Amino acid sequence: MTDVPSLVKQLDALLAEALGEVSAASDGDALEGVRIRYLGRKDGRISGVLRQLGALDPADRPAVGAAANRVKARLEEALDEAAAALAAPEDAGRALDLTLPGREPWSGGRHPVTRVMDEIYEVFRDMGFSRARGPEAETEWYNFEALNTPLDHPAADEQDTLYLRDSVLLRSHTSPVQIRTLESHEPPIRILAPGWVYRRDTYDATHTPAFLQVEGLVVDEGISFVDFKATLAEFARRMWGPGTRIRLRPSFFPFTEPSAEVDVKRVVTAPDGTTSETDWLEIMGAGMVDPAVLDAAGVDSERYTGFAFGMGPARIAMLKYGVDDLRTFFENDVRFLEQFVPGGLR
Amino acid sequence: MNVSLNWLRFLAPGVEGDAHALAEAMAALGFPVEGIDALGAELGDIVVARVVEAGRHPNADRLSLCRVDAGGDELLDVVCGAPNVRAGALYPFVPVGGVLPDGMKIRKAKIRGETSNGMLCSAKELGLGVDHSGILELRTDAAPGSPFVEAFGLAGDARLDVEVTANRGDLLSHVGVAREMAPRGVEGVALPRVPGGAEPKVELRTGEGAVEVDGITVSIDEPTLCRRFLGAVIRGVTVGPSPDWLQARLRAVGARPINNVVDATNYVLFELGQPTHAYDLATLKGRRIGARLAAEGEGVRTLDGEDRTLSASMLVIADGERTVNVAGIMGEDETAVSDATTDVFLECAHFEPRSVRTTKKALGIQSDAGYRYERWVDPTGQERAFRRVIEVIVATAGGTVHPVAADVHPDPWTTPRLSLRRSRVERLLGVPFDGAAVAGLLRPLGFVVDEGDGDTLTVDVPGWRGYDVTREVDLIEEVARRYGFDRFPDRAGPFRPTTVPDHPLFRLEDDLRTLLVGRGLFEAQTPAFVPPTEGDVHLSNPLSQEEPVLRRDLVPSLLRRVQRNLARGVRDVRLFEVGTSFRSRGPGEAPAEETRLAVAITGRRRPEHWSEPDEALDLRDLQGLLAALVRRARPGARVEPGFVDGSRLMPGEAFVVRDGDAEVGFGGRVSPDALDVPPWAGAVLALELALPALPAPSPDPTARALPAYPAVERDVALVVPGAVASATLVEAARSAGGPLLDGVEVFDLYEGEHLPEGTRSIAYRFRFRSPERTLTDDEVDRAFRSIIARVEEEPGVHVRR
Repeated sequence: MTDVPSLVKQLDALLAEALGEVSAASDGDALEGVRIRYLGRKDGRISGVLRQLGALDPADRPAVGAAANRVKARLEEALDEAAAALAAPEDAGRALDLTLPGREPWSGGRHPVTRVMDEIYEVFRDMGFSRARGPEAETEWYNFEALNTPLDHPAADEQDTLYLRDSVLLRSHTSPVQIRTLESHEPPIRILAPGWVYRRDTYDATHTPAFLQVEGLVVDEGISFVDFKATLAEFARRMWGPGTRIRLRPSFFPFTEPSAEVDVKRVVTAPDGTTSETDWLEIMGAGMVDPAVLDAAGVDSERYTGFAFGMGPARIAMLKYGVDDLRTFFENDVRFLEQFVPGGLR
Repeated sequence: MNVSLNWLRFLAPGVEGDAHALAEAMAALGFPVEGIDALGAELGDIVVARVVEAGRHPNADRLSLCRVDAGGDELLDVVCGAPNVRAGALYPFVPVGGVLPDGMKIRKAKIRGETSNGMLCSAKELGLGVDHSGILELRTDAAPGSPFVEAFGLAGDARLDVEVTANRGDLLSHVGVAREMAPRGVEGVALPRVPGGAEPKVELRTGEGAVEVDGITVSIDEPTLCRRFLGAVIRGVTVGPSPDWLQARLRAVGARPINNVVDATNYVLFELGQPTHAYDLATLKGRRIGARLAAEGEGVRTLDGEDRTLSASMLVIADGERTVNVAGIMGEDETAVSDATTDVFLECAHFEPRSVRTTKKALGIQSDAGYRYERWVDPTGQERAFRRVIEVIVATAGGTVHPVAADVHPDPWTTPRLSLRRSRVERLLGVPFDGAAVAGLLRPLGFVVDEGDGDTLTVDVPGWRGYDVTREVDLIEEVARRYGFDRFPDRAGPFRPTTVPDHPLFRLEDDLRTLLVGRGLFEAQTPAFVPPTEGDVHLSNPLSQEEPVLRRDLVPSLLRRVQRNLARGVRDVRLFEVGTSFRSRGPGEAPAEETRLAVAITGRRRPEHWSEPDEALDLRDLQGLLAALVRRARPGARVEPGFVDGSRLMPGEAFVVRDGDAEVGFGGRVSPDALDVPPWAGAVLALELALPALPAPSPDPTARALPAYPAVERDVALVVPGAVASATLVEAARSAGGPLLDGVEVFDLYEGEHLPEGTRSIAYRFRFRSPERTLTDDEVDRAFRSIIARVEEEPGVHVRR
């Protein structure tokens, strides 16, 4: 049956079918398939319909021809749009060169020694420590005598002190904060005392007359040498990784007894994945709080015991970051400080 | 303290292991070894040689041409430059092909036309000391050609540089180290005779104030400063070089041999830790010697050739007329033993550590004796040391000791007796110890322990530990140390929460760091020492005259870092620092301290980008940063235009921060006069803000409902004379706008053409909103008109048309 309305109807049905296939096509090959199936010169289904034109009254042919052209045009348009949509990302890439750098704000960073101080605090915070502070200009009492260090003992020589005038000095360690805290708080005490300390050392690769120190103090009933060793071992593992070991060597500080130098041995992993242990590195001085220190601060040394430790974050930063001269930390060359931006600069 | 391995084994034959094993054991006991020198190891090529003939070199005045017997079949021709070479003497010799400790290989050489087949050596060349004044003359029976290390007593020896803590004066001797290292402790330590030595035949005549022997009165005037004074007379000594064994001992610990009498005293110093002093008896005046206080202003020339002025608090040893020794520190020059000395007066005393320390510090003298006395010398060790010195002097210099020696002993030492509770040991150390274990750890160190039958042990402290072991806890430390720190477990127990709150200033500092780092600034750290103009807190013993005061402001130190960066070609510098400011509160007061934040920035506002031209940081960047910091650090404080004296800022481009009435900060553009920067550098901007000493916790914000009704905006450009501040107009607008005015923004500023002279155009955007309803145009227009009317009341202000 070949008449105008039925042919137009056939064409519209084919168009609907073809448009459905176009929207389902996920790539260029599928679109090309649709084109060939419907518009192909030899076997295309729309072309097939048009071949029936010959069976029509010549007067009816233009009407069907117009309908056929409309359908073909619509389908071609749909095919072009779909092809364009599939190709769109590549087109955009040609318009905008996305390999050009984007706009970044300035990067800033904490001082490398602050980074180490932060890490130390975070580890001890997780072990129940809080931070305490005190003045940097101190009295001889708080800096020496209350810490069981008579000024006429050779031990006082080991920290050559900067004085402001008689009996007022720049603290040579943050230990005075320990005394002040013991005076103002009841045990249990678990504190960290970070801060600047001063010694009469001239500047060289491993000494500066001002430097940051972090000390810690624990005082409570039943605190023993085992707690002391355990806390520092735990600190070392959290700071330098689970394989880290510590070694305590007997030493002497007037304010602790027994006293120890604390060394750590870290496990390092080479680029090829093999692990090895470093040499022992001295990282802090520590010990059980001398009862004379507790007594001087008005704490009952029979009832309470404790331990204390102190370390230099700048020295730890040297080891950690491979810096070979302490003075570098005071130069504050931006090109040095930039190296400590987490993730690096672009 | 240098320890010779051979000397240590001489006193404690049971000490086993090589130098490295010993060093490890020593470190674990609390006296780490800083360095080990194998003394004989590099001297294997050195032999003993006899100079048979020593003649002038034909072509050089200062050289000798020697015929040397080095044990071979033929005598060798050797050229020698030492002034002391002489025929008949024995010297260390390196034959051709041999190597010196510094790695130098000896070759056959022509020196000024004469062939030299080897080299005669000085002590320095052999690494045995600093002496390079001549070659080392040997006093040995060894035949030419025998190995030098054997002949000189260095075979197998090593020098250990032991670090001794300030409390352990007892370790400043070989016998002290031997007590710690011998397998059975004190029982394994002995004092064998030195070569040629014999028990001195001398009896002590003891008295409390003064004792006379051999016509000389020995006395102590200050028994609290000098506990004991032993004095002996040795007549008929022959002063000369020490025999090789003694020289080798001294060289092994790095000391320079001087003569046999002085070397004997030094030998005993290093062996027993007891300083002694030998005087030339002939130079002592008034037939008396004793310990007394110096006369104020009294002068003395010490052995180091320095003239010293004494004060009345200093203890000295004096003869009938003058000071002959700064007691326990350094002897006097004229009375010292010299080559001409035949009769010697020997002193062996015990001095009080604090007094020695005070004197030595006041005079600035470093000496082996003073170093030991200030750290405590065994008060029970004088007699043994005294006899030992006499033994060594007689063995090496001959002479006869007077059979009676003076022993002035006003204050005999009483052995301290301490109680030690086993329960306390366990409580402090955290592991169980029974009485026998405690006693077993203490006894080898010389402590006499009575275990008792209850909790308490009784412990008698040996004299050499009498200064540092005075309390129960000192004994507990010894228990822990000898038990071994490594043996304690490290399992963590539970803990109770601390009563100490985290100090809020740390949190504030941390927040400010986060804020500034987020805005692209780098944290700097600078020391607090600054030039005299930058503070008023002076150090009484400054490290340098350039930086003798503590800083008041942080900005100048930070600006120096900016300058340094600029000088190195770094254009974009954005630094901040959190640090302490010091201010004098007047004489007699500790300085006021304040934690402050400082910022110094210069360079571009953003990193260079291909899409836009660079923009330099300017005053407005600093102003905004200051406002943000003040809001966080000091809520309630105000940033106002204003200039703080001494702030190094440009007046007119500066702000002051006020909290109540107090000036707590400043910021602005740094005056170019205050900077030394390259011409290409941009504006440098800086601020400084005092942080509260105890920041109050920031109150929790109360959330407000978001606006339910839309806002309506009205823009206006106002022509504003320079004399009228924008802030005045904003305030006027707020007061006129009523409750409907929700916000005011400045969105444009125009200065220039088409405006009356001295005015600028500021464009404001007013935002109107009601929380209850949508505003009508009429309502907004009314409010807007009243704002315009109000701001046009300000002199010269009108809407720009």
